[in-house]
Amino acid sequence: MSKLEEPREASGGHRVSSRAPRAAAPGTIHALQAALAAEHAAVYGYGVVGAYLTGSSRATATADWVAHQEARDELEAVLRSSGSQPGPAAVAYRLPIPVRTPGEAVSLAVILEDRIATAYLGLVALTTPAVRELGALQVRASALRAAFWRGSTVAFPGLTAAALAIPQRPAPDREASASP
Amino acid sequence: MAADPTRRVIIAAAAVLPLVAVSGCGGVDVLASPPAPARDVGVLRAAIAAEQLMIMRYAAVLGDVQNPGQGAAGGGTSATLTAALEPLNVPAGSTSPSPSPSRRAGSAPPVPTAPTAAIAFLRAAEQAAAAAMLDRMRGAAASLAQLFASISASEATHVPVLDDAVRDIAARAGA
Repeated sequence: MSKLEEPREASGGHRVSSRAPRAAAPGTIHALQAALAAEHAAVYGYGVVGAYLTGSSRATATADWVAHQEARDELEAVLRSSGSQPGPAAVAYRLPIPVRTPGEAVSLAVILEDRIATAYLGLVALTTPAVRELGALQVRASALRAAFWRGSTVAFPGLTAAALAIPQRPAPDREASASP
Repeated sequence: MAADPTRRVIIAAAAVLPLVAVSGCGGVDVLASPPAPARDVGVLRAAIAAEQLMIMRYAAVLGDVQNPGQGAAGGGTSATLTAALEPLNVPAGSTSPSPSPSRRAGSAPPVPTAPTAAIAFLRAAEQAAAAAMLDRMRGAAASLAQLFASISASEATHVPVLDDAVRDIAARAGA
């Protein structure tokens, strides 16, 4: 069982297949594979989310589930066009939170989208224009889905608290400042 | 919230870092012309200015929350607008923005007076800001590109909230 862990600095996209570089750099392949792994996890996770919802919420979860399947397929196509074998999905995933109620299912959807956004920011960090564009489009898509499930917006979708930490200035040297 | 830095703080901190790096370099000739700022500094300053302008637009629409009668939205509608826009994560202090170059120049943004028109104005501004931030992302260094992509995505999420706000106001008016 794979852990549905927070994706690191990497990720995937949207409609790049036709523009993907033929022989992509190892860093690009790694980022695309990381995004694909995140999408595999999201597809699994949304299956759980949808199971606990009804009515319009369930319809939305289904639409989001399909969106992640399409993103997964897109990433697989990009990887194949780059000469790489797409990574497979795990048989099952350990959920980051227990899900037994509709409210918990919605919380899981928020977590999934936040982590997907983080994963796609990894593609934004690459210099290939089409891949960066793909990453940005998917960050936006996941931010929109997350905002729906959360019921509010956030200032920095996909950026973790660690990434947003403001670097501290070096502490002044006490001995030096105390001396004339 | 102290643990939740505002967008202005984050991008301002990012803007300062290249300057610190330059000033900390031991090879600078102090009698020579000052070195030109790194390209990223200009890009970040533009991003900061854009964010400040957006904050001012929200402040102009919601202005009479703090200054009754002076906001573009007008007396009673301001509370309605405030409630409708509550899901937005407007950076802290947005109703009293710090001075920005455009504000110092006395160019307060004009805002429509009718509530729905004011929200449509904000919606268009958010869409334009999201697109502009994506443009900045395309030519930016990796870390800045991530920051700009994230901000652009955030601005895009404000659009459906503003659409909901228009529907809420219409529903209240019809009730």
